[in-house]
Amino acid sequence: MTHGTLSLLAQTGFPASMAQATLAHYVVVSLLMFVIGLIGFLTRRNLIIMFLCTELMFQAAGIALVAFGRFHLDYTGQTFVIFVLTVAAAEASMALALIVLLFRRKESLSAEDWQELKG
Amino acid sequence: MIERLAYLWPEIALFIATCVVMVMGLSRTYATRKATATIAALGTFSAAVLSFLTTPDGGEIEAVSGQLYLASMVPYAKTLIGAVATLLLLTMAGTVDRAEEADIAKGVRSFDPLRSNRAEFYAFFLFSITGLMLCADADDLIWLFLALELTSLPTYIMVAMSTARNRGREAGVKYFFLGAMGAAVFLYGFALIYGAVGSTNLNEIAVAFATGGISSLGMLGVLLSILGICFKIAAVPMHFYTPDVYEGAAPQVSGFLAFVPKTAGFLSILLICGAVGWNYVIPPDGVSPLATVMPSAEGTQLPEVLRLTLWVIAALTMTVGNVLALLQTSVKRMLAYSSIAHSGYMLVGVIVGPGIAADSFSGNGVAAVLFYLLSYGVMNAGVFAVLAALERAPGRDGEPREIETISDLKGLCRSHPMLGWPMVICCLSLLGLPPLLGFFGKLPLFTAAIRAGEIPLVLVLGVNSAIAACYYLKLAFAPLTEVADDADGDPIVAAPFRTRAAAAVISAACVIGLALGGNLLMQGARSAASYTEADAIKSRVPQANAAPVDRNVAAH
Repeated sequence: MTHGTLSLLAQTGFPASMAQATLAHYVVVSLLMFVIGLIGFLTRRNLIIMFLCTELMFQAAGIALVAFGRFHLDYTGQTFVIFVLTVAAAEASMALALIVLLFRRKESLSAEDWQELKG
Repeated sequence: MIERLAYLWPEIALFIATCVVMVMGLSRTYATRKATATIAALGTFSAAVLSFLTTPDGGEIEAVSGQLYLASMVPYAKTLIGAVATLLLLTMAGTVDRAEEADIAKGVRSFDPLRSNRAEFYAFFLFSITGLMLCADADDLIWLFLALELTSLPTYIMVAMSTARNRGREAGVKYFFLGAMGAAVFLYGFALIYGAVGSTNLNEIAVAFATGGISSLGMLGVLLSILGICFKIAAVPMHFYTPDVYEGAAPQVSGFLAFVPKTAGFLSILLICGAVGWNYVIPPDGVSPLATVMPSAEGTQLPEVLRLTLWVIAALTMTVGNVLALLQTSVKRMLAYSSIAHSGYMLVGVIVGPGIAADSFSGNGVAAVLFYLLSYGVMNAGVFAVLAALERAPGRDGEPREIETISDLKGLCRSHPMLGWPMVICCLSLLGLPPLLGFFGKLPLFTAAIRAGEIPLVLVLGVNSAIAACYYLKLAFAPLTEVADDADGDPIVAAPFRTRAAAAVISAACVIGLALGGNLLMQGARSAASYTEADAIKSRVPQANAAPVDRNVAAH
């Protein structure tokens, strides 16, 4: 990184203090949440953890929406988030119902115990 | 916005039917409970009729909502959804509560509303169809997200409740988890598109992309959206669940899954691609946007990144689906892989787009996709209806089992001609044999791709059609052969639900009949896929909005 770039960054106040969180901060946080959720979903085998990982991905999208809404000075993003929360709640209720259904049969929360379907 | 409610009559009819079904399914009287299926069928049928009659053509919708592209596909898509849904509903008879109802009839136990699933099952069916219809007339990312979720959330439960076996539950959970993941991916994509443009309205997104170019943030959003929706259409990176879920669910529900989420996914992909590429929206320069609808020669293609991505997805989807289908012995798994392959075929139409010669059907990829959805919906309903209409007579455990392997179908034309022949006809049609509907579905995909110069893709499509012929012929010839020695013991009988067999026969009749009337339907698909219903706009837009640009010049 050249001296010019550094001084340019310093002028724009980088690294910013918490009081000056910019759009980029929010987007990076939401991207991290999304990626963590995705990795967790693909690697963990506990059904509840897997479900929480998809919730993490949903909420990552929510953070991005709110941040973009503020950035564009537009309320659509926040409206969208309300709908996302509603859908996420509906999914949560379904997930728990399905998980309870499986748990009653095999007394286990691991996805590995359910491998009847293969071919 | 409130005017748009007037275009939602089909959805309103479906919603009313849903509410009635939810209440009636809990009645203590058997006749009332039994009538739920009839009410549901009335709902889907009246939705189809209402879509055909009351949904105005694209021009009028555009005049109200300002939606500029693909509005004319709404009546066509909704009519086709309603019609195929009615066909699918016929196959659903007796899916849930079969053992309970038998016990109640015998007087072993009395009706218990808490144990009954009938009301929920039909309500979920109708909710899913409502969501699918709402997908067709989405003009906003929020609307599209909610419609996609309304389509898919009920299907997870339907899979889980469709059989009493553990397999169905496992399939439901698997489907739900991967579905939630897919939903999160396309939701994140929607969020990024919103971030790049500052609006969730598809029309405004199209204008912003056309004027300002597509930023990398916006392109990432579009790619993530397509990737997430690939789950719904069972395309390659997100296809792993398909064979397991189709195998675990009851055959009639598998048939439902092969049509409903797939159609929702394709309608959404068309909407998103319409917003990104195929630049039919030339930005307004102080004049009404309605005046400036015109295809530009270079604007008829998708952005290169998106085109390449879809190209790879399409080629892989076709190949993976067909090759793996070859290796299957289970009928449902084979059909699941072939359903993956069919998604690949349809993606070819998406890649081609409306084409430069948007007037002719042969060059219009979007029209080809819309027509293929109809033909696939009918053929697919027929094949799965036959599977649903057959079962093994109850053995020692007293529970009838569904048939599984291809050899179970042997001799079907002799033992059950009303099921065997529909199976043969629908399989040959899925394969794309000339006089049948499937051929007329596939042909426009070929011609559109050739006219767009996508020669490598046409080669992939051709090779894959040949591979598909191998396993579809295996499936089609099984019913024609002599009855084999049945090693499995229990004989194969027709399930005691006549509507399932009726659905198979109706599908086969449609496969032949619609092929005869194919030209008319293709005309319908073509006008559904045309952006510029120029005259319709001209005649319906109030004078204040009408701009003095000669639209006939623009359209040609």
